[in-house]
Amino acid sequence: MGRRKSSAASGFAALCALCVVSLALFTVYVKEGDCSSQGECGPLHTVQLGAAEVLQPVRGVVGALFSPIRETADRVGDAFDNSEEERLRAELRDTEALAAQTSRLQQENERLRGLLGGQRAVYEYGPLARVVAPVGDQFSERIVIDVGTEDGIQDDQPVVVGENTLVGRTTNVSRHTAQVMLITDRMFAAGVRIVPPAEFDPASSEVSPAVTAEDVPFGQGMLKTSLEGYFGVDYVDLSLRAEEGDYVVTSGRAAGRDLLEPPGLYVGTVESATSQDIEQFKKIVVDPAMNPDDLEDVRVIVGWAGKGS
Amino acid sequence: MVEQPSVVRASIIVAVAALLEAVLGPYLTFGYVSPKFALIGIVFAVSPLRDLQAVLLGFFGGILLDSLSSGLFGVGALAGLAAGALSSRVSAVRRKGTERVLLSQVVAVSVAFFGLLGWTARNLAGYGGPPLAEYAVAGILPDALLNAVLAYLVGGWLLKIVNVKSHAWESR
Repeated sequence: MGRRKSSAASGFAALCALCVVSLALFTVYVKEGDCSSQGECGPLHTVQLGAAEVLQPVRGVVGALFSPIRETADRVGDAFDNSEEERLRAELRDTEALAAQTSRLQQENERLRGLLGGQRAVYEYGPLARVVAPVGDQFSERIVIDVGTEDGIQDDQPVVVGENTLVGRTTNVSRHTAQVMLITDRMFAAGVRIVPPAEFDPASSEVSPAVTAEDVPFGQGMLKTSLEGYFGVDYVDLSLRAEEGDYVVTSGRAAGRDLLEPPGLYVGTVESATSQDIEQFKKIVVDPAMNPDDLEDVRVIVGWAGKGS
Repeated sequence: MVEQPSVVRASIIVAVAALLEAVLGPYLTFGYVSPKFALIGIVFAVSPLRDLQAVLLGFFGGILLDSLSSGLFGVGALAGLAAGALSSRVSAVRRKGTERVLLSQVVAVSVAFFGLLGWTARNLAGYGGPPLAEYAVAGILPDALLNAVLAYLVGGWLLKIVNVKSHAWESR
């Protein structure tokens, strides 16, 4: 009896003490350096980075095991989902319309190429990185890739699939791994422009001078997942152009300052653009070009022409 | 023959559960709902242990989860601590044969607490999050129910692992 009472009392004392320790750990974690700049990695973040390094092989094996299961689930889902077929038909119609413009655009591109000159986005890529596994909780959209500081990767560098389709941004970079905060993560934000299809070539990142010049009439704002849960562009003024089907590309600069992403990275297309007179900004929903489930190999952009100039 | 709880086995269960959650969790996340292996492991593994052991194991299980995942450090520790303490108190009042049901309810409460704590921590840290009402209905509630069902299904097996059968003269 006495022993039980003593155990309960010591248990309660430990509970109180460990509650305080937990709160202290949370405070230290939030306040300490998050490894985004050299030499400022706090001890708790370092512990998580070390654990990520250790777990990488396990995550790789689990990822390989889950890959066929996910593919099968996608196929089964597609078989019962008519909306996918309708989406593909709509995509085909769009593609045919775009193809009709191709010859005209080719000629126009030749002319614009000369005008663009130094404005053409030229990216310096890091080594090809394999997507190891998704990580995080229900609030975050993140993946782990198998490149790290030893491959020249740092925090806050843009990650693309293909040549220029924006996937996300590096974070929590360790020696051999890095997390990628996907563009659909609630924490992700980037400056973007909304460009009519005729003014942007997703394959080459080339944008018309009218878009890269100052005082453009095209919509520009901040790409992020809103509190309501939709992926879109915020703070697009009602007077600016933004229509369904327009391309969303990174702007690279805002208010005369360089942003984390270079200009011209392809984000997706405008799914809907609505506005009400009582609101100051348009509500723009974006259909992202990347699909997190399809990501296998990505590249980190470690530098680009005009960075820091 | 009497049943004696094994602290070593309980620790291994908590460690494996935390590892499973960190590695498998992202694949099994549907919206706001995901299996909370670590909390289930903590609740069932520490239930036969003494109060102090339960609280300590819950806390360190939470720390392990925080280290292996990329979430906010301290949230898992506090949730693990609460799960351990609750489980230990419930085990003091349980009746033989109802452990699984009671502990599944503890899992539901712990998961709800973990969800609420995670939401609060994200907002305190300035990371933002969904509106509380939406998250409570679409996240916390189904998450707690799903994990309670999962806990009920695997709980009996976990209790069997933690409790070691020994002869009466061995336990003295």
